[in-house]
Amino acid sequence: MEMLIDNLAHGFGVAFSLKNLAFCLLGCLIGTAIGVLPGIGPVATISLLLPITFGQEATTAIIMLAGIYYGAQYGGSTTSILLNLPGEVSSVVTTLEGYKMARNGRAGAALAVAAIGSFFAGTVSTILVAASGPLLTEIALSFGPWEYFSLMLLGLIISAVLAQGSVLKAIAMVTLGVGLGLVGTDVQTGQQRFTFGIPELSDGIGFVSIAMGMFGIAEIILNLERPEAREALRTKVGSLWLTKEEWKRSTPSVLRGTALGSVLGILPGGGAALASFGSYMMERRMSKYGHEFGTGAIEGVAGPESANNAAAQTSFIPLLTLGIPANAVMALMVGALIIQGIQPGPRMVEAQPDLFWGLIASMWIGNVMLLVINLPLIGMWVKLLEVPYRYLYPSILIFCAIGVYSLQNNVFDVYQTALFGIFGYICAKLRLEPAPMLIGFVLGPMMEEHLRRAMLLSRGDAMVFIQRPISGVLLGIAAIALIAMLLPNLRKKKDEALAG
Amino acid sequence: MRLNAKDLASAVLLMTVAIIGFWINAEDHAIGTARRMGPGYMPMLAFGILAALAATTFLLGLFNGPDPLVPWTQAELLAVLAGIAAAIGITWVLALQPGIISRNWYPLGLGLFAGCLLMSVAPRWRKLGLITAGLILFGIVLEVGGLFLAIALCIGLAATADETQTVKGAIGLILFQIVLCWFVFIYELDIRVSIWPQF
Repeated sequence: MEMLIDNLAHGFGVAFSLKNLAFCLLGCLIGTAIGVLPGIGPVATISLLLPITFGQEATTAIIMLAGIYYGAQYGGSTTSILLNLPGEVSSVVTTLEGYKMARNGRAGAALAVAAIGSFFAGTVSTILVAASGPLLTEIALSFGPWEYFSLMLLGLIISAVLAQGSVLKAIAMVTLGVGLGLVGTDVQTGQQRFTFGIPELSDGIGFVSIAMGMFGIAEIILNLERPEAREALRTKVGSLWLTKEEWKRSTPSVLRGTALGSVLGILPGGGAALASFGSYMMERRMSKYGHEFGTGAIEGVAGPESANNAAAQTSFIPLLTLGIPANAVMALMVGALIIQGIQPGPRMVEAQPDLFWGLIASMWIGNVMLLVINLPLIGMWVKLLEVPYRYLYPSILIFCAIGVYSLQNNVFDVYQTALFGIFGYICAKLRLEPAPMLIGFVLGPMMEEHLRRAMLLSRGDAMVFIQRPISGVLLGIAAIALIAMLLPNLRKKKDEALAG
Repeated sequence: MRLNAKDLASAVLLMTVAIIGFWINAEDHAIGTARRMGPGYMPMLAFGILAALAATTFLLGLFNGPDPLVPWTQAELLAVLAGIAAAIGITWVLALQPGIISRNWYPLGLGLFAGCLLMSVAPRWRKLGLITAGLILFGIVLEVGGLFLAIALCIGLAATADETQTVKGAIGLILFQIVLCWFVFIYELDIRVSIWPQF
C-alpha cells in the first residue's frame, strides 16, 4: 500500500510537469472533439497523430495518445444525448435513453450524469490500473515462452470472438494480420521474407500505413458515400444539476457500470464499445426502473457511460503489464512504444517507471480536465458539429499524407497507405473487420518468437503447452470461448448485445 | 441454397492471399522442423490456417445467406479492370525506363495514380478513386514540387470527390491547411522536406 502511494506520488510528479500537463490537455481536447464528431474515431485519430508524437519523449507521447482515447468516451456522449447522433460506437446506446431524456427536457441532467459517472468510473479504474499493475507484472515475470504464446493466442481468439459479425471471418482476419506481420527480415536467420526485393519492406510492412489506410483513408471514403444527415441543436440543455431522485436512481447504475466496464476492459478484444452495450443490457435487467427503459431512464445513461470510460482505462492493464494489446487502440499504443524503442511488457514497470506511473497519474488528471472541458463548455463542442464533413476530410487526408511520409521520409509509405486504404474499403464492403487484423499484425511477430523459443526448449514437443498449468488453462479458456460461439443461442445474444 | 455473397467473396479474397503466401513461402523459405523452426515455419502455419478458414467461410457461405452484394454494372467492372491494368502496365513500363523516372518510386506512384483516376470514371468508384488518387498525387509531387504544392494538389483533387464542395471552400481549405501544416510539421516538428519546388 505504501509502495503504491509512493509510486503514485512519483507518477503525479512526472505528470505534473508543464509539458506533460499541456499534452494531456491537448489529448483530452482532441479526444473530446473527435468524440463529438461522427465519422472520425479514436483509432483513426491516434494513427493519424502517431508520426507527430515520435519527436516527443515516450511518456509525453503516450500521455497524449491515451488522453485521446478516454477523451473520446466523454465527447461521444454529448452528441448522443443532444442530437441522437453517436459520435463514437461506444456511445450508441447512450442515444437510446439519453436522447429521450433530452426530449423530456432533462438534457442537462443526462449530460451531467454522463460526465459525473465517467469521472467516477475513471477514478476507480485508474486506481485499479495502479494497484493491479505491479501485481500482474510480478506474475507475468514468471511466464515462460509457453505462457506468453498461449496468452497471445487467447488474446487473438477473444478479440475475434468479441468482434462484430462473423467469428469465423474475424479469426480469418486475425490470421491474415499475423501473416502480414511476418513480412520483413526474420530475426533469427536474417532472411528476407515476402519482401520481393523491396528494401522498404525489410523492416516489415509499415504499421502506421496499415492503421491509417484501413481506419483513416477507408473511413473517409465510406463516410463520403453515406449521405450526411446532421440536424441543428434544438434541444435546450437546461439545468446541469441532478435532482435528489436522479442522484438516488443513478448511483447504483454508476457503480454497476464501473464494475462491469473495468472487467470488460481488461478482456482482450473488449474495450469501451462492448462495455457500454453490456452495461445497458445489465441495467435494463437489474434496475428497479427497467420498465421505464425506452422512455428516458437515467440508469440507461449512467451505467453505459460509466462503463465505457472504465473500460477505456482498464484496457491499458494488459498492455502495461503483459505488453499485449486488448483492442485496436492498444495495438496502436504498442506500435507507438516500439517505435519509441520501448518493448511493452512486464519489464516496463521497472525499466520505465516514469512512463508507467506518469501515464496512470495523467489518466486521473485527464479525467478531471475532461470534467471541466465537458460540462461548462458543452455549447462550444456542439458548435463543432456545424463544421461540415467536406471541410474535415481533406484535412484528415493531408495529415495522413504528411504524417506517413515523415516516418522515414519515403514516398513508398504514402503509396502503401493508399493501397491499404483500398483494401480497407474492400474489407468494409465484405464485412471483414479491420480491428482483429491490426491486433494480429502486432502480435504475429511476438508469437513467432515465443513459439520458436518454446518449441526449442521443449525439444519439439507441443504437448508442453497443455502440460504447463498456466499455459494449459489459458488455452482451455480460448477453446471454451471458441466453442461457446458455436452455440447458436450464445451467438445470437452476442449479436444482440453488439447491435444494441 | 441461400448464397451469402459477402462471405463467398471474402473467402475468395482470403484464399487468394493464403495460396500466394503459402506458395511463395514454400519456394523461398526453409521450413525447418517443429524443434528448430526455420523462417518459413510460422508463415506456413499462418497461411495454412488462413486457407482452412477461408475454405470453411466459403462452404458456410453457400448456406447462411442470403447476403447479396450490389451487383456491378459492365461499366463498373470495366473501370476496375482498366484501373488495375493501367496501374500494373504503367508501373512496369516506367520502371524499365532509364533516368529519374524509374527511381524514387515514381513508376509505382504514377501507375497507381493513373489506375485510381481511371477507376473514378465510374460514378460508383468516384469517391474511392479520387480520395486515393489525391493521396498518391501528394506522394508524386512532394519531393519535386515541395510541400505546399503537394498540399494544394492533393486537397484540390480530393475535394472533387464530394459534390457539395465549392471552389471557394476548397481554396480556403488549401490555404488553411498550408498554414496549419507549415506550423505543425515544419515549424514545430521540423520534418525534413522542402516546402518550395526543387529544380
